This record gives sequence, C-alpha cells and structure tokens, in this order.
Amino acid sequence: MASNATTYKDLTPAQPLDKKTLNTMVWKSMMLQASFNYERMQAGGWLWGILPGLEKIHTNKEDLSASMAHNLEFFNTHPFLVTFVMGVVLSLEQEKADINTIRAVRVAAMGPLGGIGDALFWFTLVPVTAGITANMSISGSLAGPILYFVITFGVQMALRYFLMYWSYSLGTQAITLLTKNAKEFTHAASMLGVFVVGALTCNYGATTLGMMIPNGTTIDATGAEVANYIDVQGLLNGILPALIPLGFTMMCYFLIKKKGWTPIKCIVLLLVIGIVGCIFGIWSGDYTALVPVPWHA
Amino acid sequence: MDVIQIVLLAIATFIFAIDQFSLTELIYRPIIACPIIGAILGDLNTGLVVGGTYELMMVGNMPVGGAQPPNAVLGGIVAMIFAVKSGFTVEESLGASVIFAVFGQYVVTLTFSLTSVLMARADKAAENADPKGIAVVNYMAMAFLAALFTVLAVIAYVGGSAMSAPLQQFSETFSWFMGGLGAAGGMMRYVGFAILLKIMLANDMWGIYLAGFAAAALLGNVSATSGATLLLVAFIGAAIALYDYNMNVKMKNLEGNGGMSDGI
Repeated sequence: MASNATTYKDLTPAQPLDKKTLNTMVWKSMMLQASFNYERMQAGGWLWGILPGLEKIHTNKEDLSASMAHNLEFFNTHPFLVTFVMGVVLSLEQEKADINTIRAVRVAAMGPLGGIGDALFWFTLVPVTAGITANMSISGSLAGPILYFVITFGVQMALRYFLMYWSYSLGTQAITLLTKNAKEFTHAASMLGVFVVGALTCNYGATTLGMMIPNGTTIDATGAEVANYIDVQGLLNGILPALIPLGFTMMCYFLIKKKGWTPIKCIVLLLVIGIVGCIFGIWSGDYTALVPVPWHA
Repeated sequence: MDVIQIVLLAIATFIFAIDQFSLTELIYRPIIACPIIGAILGDLNTGLVVGGTYELMMVGNMPVGGAQPPNAVLGGIVAMIFAVKSGFTVEESLGASVIFAVFGQYVVTLTFSLTSVLMARADKAAENADPKGIAVVNYMAMAFLAALFTVLAVIAYVGGSAMSAPLQQFSETFSWFMGGLGAAGGMMRYVGFAILLKIMLANDMWGIYLAGFAAAALLGNVSATSGATLLLVAFIGAAIALYDYNMNVKMKNLEGNGGMSDGI
C-alpha cells in the first residue's frame, strides 16, 4: 500500500547526483515498460529506473521506503521522453521536497509528454525513416534495416541524455525559488496534479458500452428496409461523455479511501465486471457474447 | 526440422518480445526483426523483402496512446517462417500470420492484466525498501511475456500453417473471454487513478478534478486539438496553479506585515 507519510524524516538536502548515476539512469530508462500493466502502467519500470538515484538520495531506510511507495503509483508517459520527468523528480527528491509536491509535479509532467512524443516519434521520425529505408530493404539491401536502426536509435538516445541533464539542472535551479514558499507551492502543484488526473480520467478512460438495441425498421428513400438501433453509449454520451470511466474511478476511489479496499481487491472486482459484461455482450469490442443477446452483434 | 534453428528462433523471439515494450523498442520492428529471423532460417533476402513490406504496412499502425495493433512481433516472425519454410509468397505469408498476431495480442492482454496483480509484490518491496524486489518484479513480468511469445513462435515453426485452423477455432470459441479480459484491462487504470486521488483529492480539490475532466472532454473531442489534449490541459492547469500560488504568496506576505501594507 502507498505510504501515508507526506514528508521525509531526513530533510537535509542530499548531495547532487554524480554523472555516473545520471548516466546509469539514462540507460535504465529504457526498461520503463518492463512491467507495464493495466493498473499502474509504467510505474514498476519507472521506479526501477530512478532507483539508483533514490538509493543515493535517501540513506535513511524509512525515507527510501516512502519514496519507493509513492513512485509506484500510476505512471504513464512517452518512453523516449521519460528522462525529462526523471530529472525533475530526482531534483525534488534530492531537496527532500514535500511528497505531495513531488507526486503532483510528476503527474503534471508525465501527461503532456505522451502526446508530444507520439507526434515527434511515431508520426514523424519513424514513418519518414521507414519510407526511406523500407524500399532499400525490399530491393535486398542490408543497409535498409541498419540505417533504420542507426537513425531511430541515435535520435532516441540523444534525446534521453539531453532531457535527463537539462531537466535535472532546471529542477535544481528552480527549487531554491520554491523553498521560500514551499507550502503555497505544494498547494498549487497539487491543484495542477488533480487537474491533470481529471483530464487523464477522461482522456485515458476507454470503457464504452457496445449495446445496440434493435428498434424496428424503416423504409428509406429507395424503398429498402433499414434496421434501426438504439445506441446506448450514444445516449450516455448525451448525459456526460466518459461517464463510465468517471463512475468507475469514483467507485474505486470510494472503495479504497472509505472502505479500505486494497488495489488488488479492486482489480479482481473489475476483472469480474469485465468478463461477466462480455458474457452478456455489454462492453464494446470485437468479440462474440457467450449468451446470445439481441444487442451485441 | 532443425534443433539449432528452433533454439535460435526461440532466443530471437524472446528478445523481440521484450524489445517491443522495453530496451530499444526498435529491433522488434519488422524491418529489423524479419532479416534476423531470415538469417536464422537461412534466407536473409526473403527477410529483407518481408520486413520492408511489413514495415511499410505498419507505418500507419503505430502503438500510439495505449491502443495495440494485432501484435507485429509475432506477425513478422510467423510470416517469415511461412515464407521460408512453406514457400508462401510475401502476401500469403502475411495473411496466414494474422491469426498468430491476434494470439500475440491475447498474450499481451493477459500479461498486462496479470502484472497488475504483481504490483502488490512491488508494493511489498517498497514497504521493505528493497530495490532488488522491484528488479525481480520487472524481470518476472518480462520473462512471462517473452516465454509465451516464444512458445507461440515455436508452435508456428513446428506446426506450420496447419496450426491456423485450430487457433482460429479457439479464438472464436473464447472470444467472449478475451474480450472480457480486454474490457477489464481497460478498466484497471481506474484503480491507478483512484490510488493517485486517494492522497491528492483534498476536499477543496473536487472542482479542480471535474474541471480537468471537462477540459479533456472538450479538447479531446475536437479533431484539431485532440492530438495535443493533455498538453493543452497542462497549459490551463498551469494557469490555475500559478494564479493560486501568486494569490497565496500575496496573502502570506500581507499577513506577515500585519495587514499594514495597504499603501494608500
């Protein structure tokens, strides 16, 4: 379970991280998605990546535990840009900033990078490189795959190095300004963090209903018979878009915060809801319901 | 059937399976993976042709924003096996490999669900301040995914395209289960959000949470802004946060001066 501590025991700022540790973390950042999962996405790999730094920063075992616990919370960003978040978070950890501040900054930084990284990498660099090299490959030249790798890997690693050092020094410089009004900064950062989590709920929330209830037929202009359907998800969207993601998030929040459920218990509950739902053809998706129902094709 | 080929194929598949999410995230791409498999099977040239063709097919089909295409790793490997061993044309091989790509996707869905359960073990390691425990969780997740991929690749090598029919049959019979697992997988992130909110969502933050939700609902459903939804949301959020920060600092300074700084 996430620890409930909000401040570290040892509040003396740690020594700045040496180049060797920063470089190690740049390389370990490649394992960001090693334990990717639906609940916390990249959290396991994220923590694994920054652990060399955290171990140097938190010499006190209790503080290391608290830091590891909050860094295991939901995390998702673009894999090639993650070192930017690493640098900022490590500079805050090093200053022993309030845990709520670190969490809020982490959440606020990870979200926007996803879209930027996709646009830069998967929509621009990779298609352009593939366009050049795939035809070399098809005409039987080994230079195709080699060039493809050199270009895309080179750009990726250069970005990882640059972002780590840049954001780490940026964070270290900014922090002296912030420590003067630490309490106010924590509140403001938390606002930004909560705002982003609200956006994530809508933006990442993908659960939709796949129920199309047959509703008679009409004759169209050409005289052909057209089947009508009631789209239940469409009706829900009229009430509130992404109503189901919001509802489920609130349900989990209530169960964890008020009822003391563990995350595992929530996951098992959602597993049952997901599978039972598909037995009856309730959730959208490309599958055949086990029970033949009129509303799911 | 060649034992050395099977062993090399298994090793390559194991590495590509991990590489699709970690490591370079590049060598699993068909343009690189297919020539390697081709070299293992003794036909590098076919590997280059299949790889180049498949890569171009995939350029419009990127792993973006968490959406997963039917798995390219198994698709490429199996297409290569069929092209070299069964003598299929490039198009025939790519077509026959689709069902394996679908199974690759099943394996990914299964792994991502099971690894959610593994997070409890990571929490335990964090509680004990045990960095090794975190490494073990990551290794376990990678090994599970890669082992299943390897099994599927070996099945394709040994069974050939004759395996397509039973796999197709299985996927039709159990599509409700895999559909359910996929739907549940899509829901598990709500637990992740709830854990974040458990601490962050103080009583005065509810409005901010819903405002963020509303901002994303607006920006995400307009085609001109949907690609940059989260960046634009961060801009709005930053404006709110800066305003809050400046106001509170001002208030604090006023209190510090005993309210005498009206300056009139």
